[in-house]
Amino acid sequence: MQHLKSHPAHGVVVPRSFRLLEELEEGQKGGGDGTVSWGLADDDDMMLTHWNGMIIGPAKTVYEGRIYSLKVDCGHRYPEYPPMVRFVNKINLTGVNSSTGAVDLKSVSALSRWKNSYNIKMVLQELRQHMMMKENSRLSQPPEGQVYSN
Amino acid sequence: MAEQGAADLGNNNNNKPEASEGTIIKVTVKTPKDKEEIAIAEDASVTQFKEEISKRFKAKQDQLVLIFAGKILKDGDSLSQHGIKDGLTVHLVIKTAHKAADGGSTSASSSTSNQGGNSTTSSPAANPAPTTVPTGSGHTPTQTPNIMSGFGDLASLAGLGMGSANFMELQQQMQRQLMSNPEMLSQIMENPLVQNMMSNPDLMRQMIMANPQMQQLMERNPEISHMLNNPELMRQTMELARNPAMMQEMMRNQDRALSNLESIPGGYNALRRMYTDIQEPMFSAAREQFGNNPFSALGGNSDSGAQPSRTENREPLPNPWGPPNSSNPSESGGGTTGSTSTSGATNPSVSNPLGVNPGSLGNGMFNSPGMQSLLQQISENPQLMQNMLSAPYMRSMMQSLAQNPELASQVMMNNPLFAGNPQLQEQFRSQLPIFLQQMQNPEALSVMTNPRAMQALMQIQQGLQTLQTEAPGLMPSLMTSGIPGVPTGGAVPAENPASSPSSAATNPAQQQLMQQMLQMFAGGGGSGGGNGTSQTPEVRFQTQLDQLNAMGFINREANLQALIATGGDINAAIERLLGSQPS
Repeated sequence: MQHLKSHPAHGVVVPRSFRLLEELEEGQKGGGDGTVSWGLADDDDMMLTHWNGMIIGPAKTVYEGRIYSLKVDCGHRYPEYPPMVRFVNKINLTGVNSSTGAVDLKSVSALSRWKNSYNIKMVLQELRQHMMMKENSRLSQPPEGQVYSN
Repeated sequence: MAEQGAADLGNNNNNKPEASEGTIIKVTVKTPKDKEEIAIAEDASVTQFKEEISKRFKAKQDQLVLIFAGKILKDGDSLSQHGIKDGLTVHLVIKTAHKAADGGSTSASSSTSNQGGNSTTSSPAANPAPTTVPTGSGHTPTQTPNIMSGFGDLASLAGLGMGSANFMELQQQMQRQLMSNPEMLSQIMENPLVQNMMSNPDLMRQMIMANPQMQQLMERNPEISHMLNNPELMRQTMELARNPAMMQEMMRNQDRALSNLESIPGGYNALRRMYTDIQEPMFSAAREQFGNNPFSALGGNSDSGAQPSRTENREPLPNPWGPPNSSNPSESGGGTTGSTSTSGATNPSVSNPLGVNPGSLGNGMFNSPGMQSLLQQISENPQLMQNMLSAPYMRSMMQSLAQNPELASQVMMNNPLFAGNPQLQEQFRSQLPIFLQQMQNPEALSVMTNPRAMQALMQIQQGLQTLQTEAPGLMPSLMTSGIPGVPTGGAVPAENPASSPSSAATNPAQQQLMQQMLQMFAGGGGSGGGNGTSQTPEVRFQTQLDQLNAMGFINREANLQALIATGGDINAAIERLLGSQPS
């Protein structure tokens, strides 16, 4: 279960499961400022792969008042490689595939160059920031409650 | 397996009422603004948890959305099902009616404050509002659908205004707020009172024409008067004003037409000419009043001749703050008079070309807590009162009201306070001319700016009220014996703080009080301004005396005489003093 990686330029690499356990704990303790939340999707998920995320739409944007559910999958190469992220609730946001809800992390500037120090919390927070960008300020949103069909 | 790494469960034996069975766990419930620890049974359901939360956070249960570890907790679930254990944190979002989640508001990203109101509309207005107005006000339109609470946020504005002790500034801020916040505008527009007023073309025309600046403009540009006299056009404009969506549409069309015009050879010059002839004077007239351009939101449309409808668009800019000034003399007596005043007509100040009376927007406006505090502050700050009273539009408003008792009575009539009592209305109507004259009397004005006088009036008011409740029989006799010199101008605002809480008071006692106040007023007015307060002229004119002293007029007696003769007007007093001295 412990995937020790050959370490890169700086110091010790924290193994995947340690990282994910830390993130799990932080998620349960309500890390962040209350505008994002994350947790393991399935308690029996031994590989800590499938996560739920939640983003609260920022005020003064077209996303205001909405609560967006996301699925975050941390593959076995996480955190060296970014997770797969997709929205469950329908959303009109640049970088989000309008038919599947899949998020292209490269279109979120803060996440386009993934570092292994990034984590799920950051992904959610940066997505939230992304919602506040001007380019997204006038996108009309689908009615609440709609979800992607996959 | 992962969960075991998380907090270990200690068995609490605290006896809590919620402990039906099972152990109690302490769960932290966190909103972006707030954090509370809630004790709940380990095996409780989400519904039970929400009950506790709703008590603690003072929100309705169905407004609560709970999130744990990235999942929304549904009412039918249990806490243990989600793995919620002692010491863990659950996120809370409180949904307001407009779905403005607290969870998203101001925390985390301070950059939200820069979004302003522009994201939702295409209003061309510049948006200084977020910087000048606390973000609390920015949330105004989203909080409730109620216009009144929208204006309730005036409290924060009032705070700002007080900071500068300048009523005009307050008004400007209000305007800016309004302009940058189109939702507020549309709320105002939707108010049936406004719409009623707007549907009366005669009234509108009258109001517009009564404004001296408009008159000037009209002289210079006969086209404008032509436009005003065209009922069709007026109606069209008012339709526009009533329907902000339509207005935007119109403006867009005009912009397009304008740009077309530009492309015609010589067209640009024509445009420019039109701008300078028509637009500028209007703009600068407005600017004079406010120091900023209230028409900027309408985006430089010129051209009054070619398409008369265009200029109209410059006008319908309702001034929500205009009302305290433009609606009612008793109001001017104190933008303070909430319960009297409002509705129906407004004065056409340039600030308020269509004379939309924000007062009409809601008598509630004045009853809102924000207004209340504003009123209090005004009465405490005589400087403010003076500023307000000396504001040019105020003068013009009072004048036009004086000239047009019909208008004034209409305004009065629409006040709900009188709505239920035709008798009172009659009374008021008859008193009106006297009332108006009194308002013109600078003496009365200076009394109103005297904080002690105001306080005394309020005390009297309160005393009267108590008496009324305690000994109703006693009242009439007290009244008739005449409580000395209470100028109604002051009495009416004094009336306000007491009566406005009971806003739509059709309380007969209240009305009686009003009548008596009126009588006293009439009596006070009859005897001339000298009965203002129980204070000596010397005390009243203290500030003026000091000023005169500073200027070098050391003869206190003479100063006092002059001040008394001119009713506190320093400039006139100086002239008198100079005239009497050997040159």
